Amino acid sequence: MSNVLVVGNGPASHRLVERLHRNGHQGTITVLGAETRPAYNRLLLPSVLRRSLSPGAIVLPAPPAGVRVHQGVVATDIDPRERVLYATGGGSSERRETVYRYDELVLAMGARPRLPDLPGAHDTAGRLVDGITALRTIADCARINGDRVVVLGAGVLGVETALALLAGGHHVTLVHPRPHPMERELDTVAGQLLADHLAELGIDTWFGRHAVGYRPGRLLLDDGQVHLADTLVLCTGVVPEVGLARRAGLSVRRGVLVDDRLRTSAEHIHAIGDCAEHQGEVPGLIAPAWEQADTLATLLTGGHARYRGTPRVLRVKAPELDIASFGSLRGLDHSDADVELVTLTDSTHRRRAKLALCDQRIVGAVVLGLPDAIASISQLYDRNLPLPSGRLDLLLGTATGHAAAAELPDDAVVCRCNNVTKRALLHAWSSGARRVSELTNATRATTGCGSCVSAVSRLHASLESTDRLGASRLDRAS
Amino acid sequence: MTRTLLVVGHGMVGHRLVEIMRSNDLNSAWRVVIVAEEARPAYDRVELSSYLDGKSADDLSLVSHEFLNDPSVDLRLATTATEINRGPRTVTTADGATVGYDALVLATGSRPFVPPLPGRDLTGCFVYRTVDDLDAIRAAAVSGRTGLVVGGGLLGLEAANGLRLVGMRPQVIEMAPRLMPLQIDEGGGEILGRLVRDAGLPFRCGVAMRSIDAGPGGEVRGVTLTDGTTVEADLVVFAAGVRPRHELADSAGLDLGDRGGILVDEHCRTADKHIWAIGDCAAVGGRCHGLVAPGYRMAEVVAEQLLGSDDTVFSNADTSTSLKLLGVGVASFGDAHAKTPRSLELAYTNEKAGTYAKLVLADDTRTLLGGVLVGDASAYPVLRSLVGHQLPAGAERLLSESRYGVSS
Repeated sequence: MSNVLVVGNGPASHRLVERLHRNGHQGTITVLGAETRPAYNRLLLPSVLRRSLSPGAIVLPAPPAGVRVHQGVVATDIDPRERVLYATGGGSSERRETVYRYDELVLAMGARPRLPDLPGAHDTAGRLVDGITALRTIADCARINGDRVVVLGAGVLGVETALALLAGGHHVTLVHPRPHPMERELDTVAGQLLADHLAELGIDTWFGRHAVGYRPGRLLLDDGQVHLADTLVLCTGVVPEVGLARRAGLSVRRGVLVDDRLRTSAEHIHAIGDCAEHQGEVPGLIAPAWEQADTLATLLTGGHARYRGTPRVLRVKAPELDIASFGSLRGLDHSDADVELVTLTDSTHRRRAKLALCDQRIVGAVVLGLPDAIASISQLYDRNLPLPSGRLDLLLGTATGHAAAAELPDDAVVCRCNNVTKRALLHAWSSGARRVSELTNATRATTGCGSCVSAVSRLHASLESTDRLGASRLDRAS
Repeated sequence: MTRTLLVVGHGMVGHRLVEIMRSNDLNSAWRVVIVAEEARPAYDRVELSSYLDGKSADDLSLVSHEFLNDPSVDLRLATTATEINRGPRTVTTADGATVGYDALVLATGSRPFVPPLPGRDLTGCFVYRTVDDLDAIRAAAVSGRTGLVVGGGLLGLEAANGLRLVGMRPQVIEMAPRLMPLQIDEGGGEILGRLVRDAGLPFRCGVAMRSIDAGPGGEVRGVTLTDGTTVEADLVVFAAGVRPRHELADSAGLDLGDRGGILVDEHCRTADKHIWAIGDCAAVGGRCHGLVAPGYRMAEVVAEQLLGSDDTVFSNADTSTSLKLLGVGVASFGDAHAKTPRSLELAYTNEKAGTYAKLVLADDTRTLLGGVLVGDASAYPVLRSLVGHQLPAGAERLLSESRYGVSS
């Protein structure tokens, strides 16, 4: 029996607690969250900006009974020898320091926005001035006001944010220092297609421009342009939250270093999610955080498990765009490995796919504007299956059978935003959810970016027809 | 009554015309006079480089013993046509002779383009078009020294190969960002560049020539590029494209195309109904074709008219190219650069195998419009024949199955 203390109350922490409970953890579970609200799915903040989801709708299910969650509590120090953690806030007096004892401590503090060194953006205390916000919390969403919004940074979050704000009726300007958006994921051709697409949707885009200064309501660019900004939203990346770990003397590089058992350099202290660095990787994505949480929950409840990294799958969460990236294409073009690159370019319809194949299996892919290809590739990639011979059909979605949700294995993730598996949907069905809306209410599938709506509908249709078939067989039998 | 066909130029296309005439003019309605500038009868210019690889001029010759002894053919070698007299329908030659004609076909070809650079006339500057050019290069070659080729297109790579065959160390300068920019796209250019480099031919793309620099004796010592760098070289070969030889027609008052070439209609006929133009010198509907295949097609079109039919017109020039150079297979066919509106491109790159294959498809995603193959051009004959047709199921496998064993 052990008492687990978790620092951080985001999706990774939430998943860990849920899995600990499911694995029959004996002992207390205490969660300390810096925000004064229950855990929510940060990935869906753009949907909140878009007003397709209310802030309440992205709150994660309440923790299992018996789990103590303290909100508004900031961990300040750890004494690894004594196995105690010091924290402030929470309860009646904000200044009060509380001491928490633990048997096992889990750091799941996530990351914080990386703020650019922009003259005029900070007050003397180093805080962002009014009119500028990052986008990491529900509270940040409420800071975006006014008609004209400038989004700085066109990585995945920047693109999602710009589109969400546009859909919310704002006049949106997107400024990015690189020649095209999402350069980490997209090559030049795909990046240019996306840039064209964003501009055509009505975003005022400025690529290859650096922000050099801020004055209230105005952003100054290096070419002398001044953009009006009722709100400036900084989507300039994140950095792992490592201050606490560093103060406690834990080994830290970019993130808190962990081994295959998610152990930090100090005994009985673990780290998962955005704050953890495993094998040099700080993925900053939800899937690795979940997998780490699952692994750690198994280990903390006496099971055997090892974390060996998570294939990188990234999906842009915006209904206007179908963009997904699998693994990494970096270096593959010029490596000596026996990699075959297959690219499809359809500039007219802004469709582009680039697959890196090794032994007929996908080792990396970037897909733009081809939703069926994304669905098929996602399954082939997740299950490491060889490609069918007709790559053109696969990419154009003219192949049959690959994307049918009914043929998915039960553990396939259908809704990536909410991590809903096919098994969960089947379970909801057999528990009586017979309509698509009932399935989605029960599982939260489709309530994220919405890109899985068709997959869920297909699964529903297939369940219905199987059911009818079963019923008619019964009729004949009787 | 026998009529006279006068052909000016005895290159590959001019000769092809005469051959067709001789084999199809069963009633001997025509006698043929050929006025040829070179001292040699027609030879295979496409295979010119093999002249430096052990073949003799006779090996390259396209002309048979029977042809030379054909009483209906009057071949006048080393004779330059100087003037067309359209009224009396005669052509004057440099030796003062006058040849009358009923039909005049201009097959004067093209000349190498030599960019207007300082030093372009220095001793040690060459072009690469005729057997005489190659003799001159061979005579000037210094084994182990650098020979610089201006132009990284089809001809430039040929010339570089030629320089290597005479013992020099070739280096290629190409203005465009990649080799063979007319035939090969960007993706193919990357693979081609690597293969060419691996084959031991250094080149630089994306930089132009500024000057050719002389040594103390007034001969080529090196070149200066537009980025300021200099390259030492004992010899320079210009392979930067060709220009149509249209002067004879121009001074006779015949129209030229906007970008040069003798303007002809789809029957390859000029505004003068007695005069045609075929091959590199002809601008069919305003457009010149610098390849032999379209030239042969023009020869066929004109021969049919002279033999009494004018049903055939010149259209849809096949600009397909396939070659094996420095051991590298390259092919380009149809709409290789995806210029057709709404077309899409499907490309396969294997860096390790050194292969690139691209198909250009119509917006139905099925009809093949063209493509590019680099490194392995074995699928070329099949794919080229499929241009304009729906790709059969599994056509993609042509591109990779043989090499990688695609599982079905």
